[in-house]
Amino acid sequence: MKTQLIRRNMKKEFNGWWIISLVGAVVILLPILFIFSSIFQEANENWLHIRQYLLKNYVANTIILVVLTGIFTALLGVTLAWIIAAYDFPLKRFFRWGLLLPLSIPTFIAAYTYRTMLGYTGVVQSTLRNQFDYQINSEWLRVSGISGAVFIFTLFLFPYVYLITRAFLESQSTAYIENARLLGRKPLAVFYKVVLPLSRPAIVGGIILVIYEVLGDYGVTSYLGIHTISTAIFQTWFGMYDVNSAMRLAAWLMVIIVGIFFLERLLRQGRRYHLSSKSRPLVPVKLKGIAGIAAFVYCGIVFLLGFLIPFIQLLFWAKMTFVKVWDSTFITLVYQTVFVAVISTIMILVISVVVANVSRSHSSFSFILSKIVTSGYSIPGPIIAIGVLAIFISLDHWLAPVYSKLGLGEAPLILSLSLIMLIVGYFIRFMATGFNAIEVGFEKTGKKYSEASRMLGIGMTKTFFKVDLPLIKGSLISGFILTFVEICKELPLALLLRPFNFETLATKTYQYANDEQIYEASISSLLIIVISILSVVILQMIGKKVKK
Amino acid sequence: MSIVDIEGLTFSFSRKEAPVIKDFSLSVGKGELVGILGQSGSGKSTLLRLISGLETPLSGTISIAGTTVVSNHVFIQPENRGVGMVFQDYALFPHMTVKENILFGLSKMPRKDRKQRVDEMLELVQMEKFEKRFPHELSGGQQQRIALARALAPKPKVLLMDEPFSNLDADLKESIREELFNILRKADMTCIMVTHDRNDVEAACDYSIVMGQADVKNHISPKKFQSIK
Ligand SMILES: Nc1ncnc2c1ncn2[C@@H]1O[C@H](COP(=O)(O)OP(=O)(O)OP(=O)(O)O)[C@@H](O)[C@H]1O
Ligand SMILES: [Mg+2]
Repeated sequence: MKTQLIRRNMKKEFNGWWIISLVGAVVILLPILFIFSSIFQEANENWLHIRQYLLKNYVANTIILVVLTGIFTALLGVTLAWIIAAYDFPLKRFFRWGLLLPLSIPTFIAAYTYRTMLGYTGVVQSTLRNQFDYQINSEWLRVSGISGAVFIFTLFLFPYVYLITRAFLESQSTAYIENARLLGRKPLAVFYKVVLPLSRPAIVGGIILVIYEVLGDYGVTSYLGIHTISTAIFQTWFGMYDVNSAMRLAAWLMVIIVGIFFLERLLRQGRRYHLSSKSRPLVPVKLKGIAGIAAFVYCGIVFLLGFLIPFIQLLFWAKMTFVKVWDSTFITLVYQTVFVAVISTIMILVISVVVANVSRSHSSFSFILSKIVTSGYSIPGPIIAIGVLAIFISLDHWLAPVYSKLGLGEAPLILSLSLIMLIVGYFIRFMATGFNAIEVGFEKTGKKYSEASRMLGIGMTKTFFKVDLPLIKGSLISGFILTFVEICKELPLALLLRPFNFETLATKTYQYANDEQIYEASISSLLIIVISILSVVILQMIGKKVKK
Repeated sequence: MSIVDIEGLTFSFSRKEAPVIKDFSLSVGKGELVGILGQSGSGKSTLLRLISGLETPLSGTISIAGTTVVSNHVFIQPENRGVGMVFQDYALFPHMTVKENILFGLSKMPRKDRKQRVDEMLELVQMEKFEKRFPHELSGGQQQRIALARALAPKPKVLLMDEPFSNLDADLKESIREELFNILRKADMTCIMVTHDRNDVEAACDYSIVMGQADVKNHISPKKFQSIK
């Protein structure tokens, strides 16, 4: 009787949509499982060496970076969010948006820009020397080590905290803040007693995003010479071609990720407030005199340091090197980047759409499915990269007999030297970006139109193409833009998974910077930044159109 | 001959909760118009969704025109049940014109007959002049008539309507109700209609059922209403 029902329900749900979704979920889950399986293999000498002498240092550096960056981004992000949400001062409307721009500059680009700018030959020191005849101690301005990395991460990742906290304050907190004000509390007291405790879930959410970025970073830390677990994964692979040890390092990093996941739970759930569902916007208080100027200066300095100064510096360098760098190989580079990004994005969106459509049934199984599919976003790039690499190498081993039958030689590396590997990496990492956008679209339109279509005798697939797809077109476009930009900016996956001689804008930029050809790196950097900014602008425009 | 046969239907949204519908049985004959009354939350919409295949029961069987569409080992997909539905908020496809909306369900009909069927339907609901409009360019009552035309166009074996008048004001409601029942009688359509309003039932239904009342819930005793005609 029970089994009969189960069989009926399986037969009812089972169709091509489910098969495709399951395949997608398996592809995403496999590398992570593979990494954990490495723990059960026998350790080699490398690993014993790493574990005995190096691991402690890697873990310590990783944790120090995460903690310090977390603290400083929180300070910067929350204070800015509060000032922008609660007050009015000169240029506030501009800063409200402009303070997001630091996100458009990938951190590794910011790192080499600042390091060079503040270095001995950089514009700061040479101006001081030549114009003011003042020789500053170079050490003071050196961007390196943990302090340098924390400086860069803070300045260019704080917008995550800022954005989420500000959105929360602007929409959800009005009644409480106004009450506190009416009760005659001083602004500082309102901030400490009301704003901070209320917005804690939002702040934690923002910090977690920052932490994921830091944990997955390879560009900044390797450039500034810091040994973290992520950089060690790369070194073990590129230096020793030791996949097994690299996977063990990745497993260690996963342990930290899982720890953070539980920490987040703890921090968010400790206190749950039932916020009033009726939210109205917070009316900003006008700041007069000194206070207004102070707010303006604070936002202004952050905007200058976090966006304008490095951007202008890059423009100068680009002008210097334009003739040299901008040639046919550069065009090829742009073409390659766009090519791989478009292919990956399309794959991501196709699977996203299928899975999102399947999970509209809201069964517990589809819930798990959507969780699996979006899990890649909280797993740092280096972990995904090494997992995918390990699987592809194994695949090539298994397929060796097939290869030799096809006359491709004895035990060649076919799959693991192809572009497919990189595309799979992007697919796993950025699935969540596409999926979330599509899911929003489905949630907005609801199920009633698809249900109406089914009632008119049209099956699920045809319904999808005739009804659902036209209705989620907007979400599809924003999902495409967001995913495309993320892929263009991505560094660690591209570095580890690209075929020989295949470069993306990000890897080329990194290569230039690593070879101390900083000026040459500027044009590709600017291109990445401009793509990011444009996408934000386009999304805003779409958003406005949809609202109308 | 009965068109819709429901036997021992039980359904709940989750295993933890008490069933919304419990051991429910009902039989509707050809051309009958049945009203379903009941308090908010008593499971009226859920019953229609079960008949149409948008939800799956825990147990019980439903047959439509002699074919079992759901039982413990059968589940026929909603698109293959031959059931038409007029949704509470009409759910007209916003990206299609009136004509395209009605054409939508006719894909199984020979191409040359489709146009004629659309015209027939538009005439039936007296909306001939509006075929090029989009749903948002119609009034509530006009949308309702198009929703009805769209549901009737593929000639369903049974028509389900979920509070078709709830978005209309009292005056409009009366005239549209009259019109609707005339259309349904003309088409000799078997119809199950959920409503809040006893007047709807008294105006046209052959009989009605009250959902969710402890005494009638498990065992349906159709209260015959005097048909107005
Ligand atoms: N998707 C859902 N998940 C869980 N419970 C639901 C869901 N939809 C409805 N319910 C519950 O099932 C019960 C019956 O809902 P249903 O919509 O069938 O009531 P109804 O009689 O149509 O009410 P109304 O007259 O307000 O439309 C209600 O108690 C409702 O809370
Ligand atoms: Mg209802």
